[in-house]
Amino acid sequence: MRTEELIAELSRGLAPVRPLPGPCTLAMRWLAIAVIVVALAVACFGLRHDLAARLAAGPDLRQMAAAGLTGVLAAIAAFQLSFPDRDPRWALLPLPAFGFWLADLGWGCLQDFARLGPEGLQLTWSFPCLGFILGFGLPLSLAMAWLGRHAAPLRPVPVAALGGLAAASIANVGLVLTHHLDAALEALVWHGLAILVTTAAAALLGPRVMRAAA
Amino acid sequence: MPPDAAKAEAREARDTRWSALMMAAQAGDGRAYDRLLREILPLLRGIANARLRDPAEAEDAVQDALLTLHRVRATYDPTRPFTPWMAAIAERRALDRGRSRGRRAAREVQIEAAEHIASATVPEAERGLARAELRAALGELPASQATALRLAKIEELSLAEASARSGLSVGALKVATHRALHSLRKRLGGGEGT
Repeated sequence: MRTEELIAELSRGLAPVRPLPGPCTLAMRWLAIAVIVVALAVACFGLRHDLAARLAAGPDLRQMAAAGLTGVLAAIAAFQLSFPDRDPRWALLPLPAFGFWLADLGWGCLQDFARLGPEGLQLTWSFPCLGFILGFGLPLSLAMAWLGRHAAPLRPVPVAALGGLAAASIANVGLVLTHHLDAALEALVWHGLAILVTTAAAALLGPRVMRAAA
Repeated sequence: MPPDAAKAEAREARDTRWSALMMAAQAGDGRAYDRLLREILPLLRGIANARLRDPAEAEDAVQDALLTLHRVRATYDPTRPFTPWMAAIAERRALDRGRSRGRRAAREVQIEAAEHIASATVPEAERGLARAELRAALGELPASQATALRLAKIEELSLAEASARSGLSVGALKVATHRALHSLRKRLGGGEGT
């Protein structure tokens, strides 16, 4: 088929479309859904009993703030990239907050080691951490893929992967509010692993959701 | 006025006109859309030709870009310039074409070997006639069917890749490919079996 014929065919019976809201509006919509879902989860599981003392001590509050900021920035970056004409460097937006979060957990590990010696770095299984972040992070990632489905023919994998990072980060905030996990190494390993798995799964499944929904 | 400044002004005026045409197209004005797509065609061709050396491949990339642009036309924000939005789509499709061409290179060697076998058994004139008939039949297919057939059967892309390239959903691709094959069989007098 000639290109001019294709143009004629595309123009024939053209359906009107409503221009999409901007990336920040879409990000705020998704964040509202994510916050409601995680708040409901926190309400179901109940706040951890020593939350006030932990937050007053400092590190938990810092890590929650870093996780929350990573989630917000990753969501904004994902929706920016879902529009064709936005700079690909938007993908870097959440990296400073994410880097600070990981570095803060790493610093906590060193402090545990200085305080308790090798015992401070013992690692035990923490399935609830994995379960919470994956259980809430994955559906929220797919909700992001659905909201950003217009990116299917453009940049589906980066959009979906950033959606996974955003969802896992917001789920992590909920986890810190509910789950008792004191050792920094355990937090670094299990939270880090859960975020990695959620982001990878979102990068794999998100584009399929986008294509199916588009 | 210096020539560079005049050129920049002309480009700006052109972008404003395209932006207005795209706004009208988003509201469902098919004539504005037709005019816009015809006006941007040289620019789309320029981008594709800069990325792809084979003219036929470049023209396919232009058609891919038009299909993608059509599919994501709701992502155009009328308060922003039109040209970068359109160019980003065209660049993306040309790059995808370049990549899939690289992947096809190995398979093309095998096809060339098969052509050598075929030439020993089928007379040249007969093959030429069949090719012309097939080309004519392909040319009569609707755009979506021709695209689906080209991506799924000729370029042998997976359904997911073909979907990403064409902007058609997997379901729509399957239906379009099936209908295209059915039309070709009918037109070329083949049986119903696969």
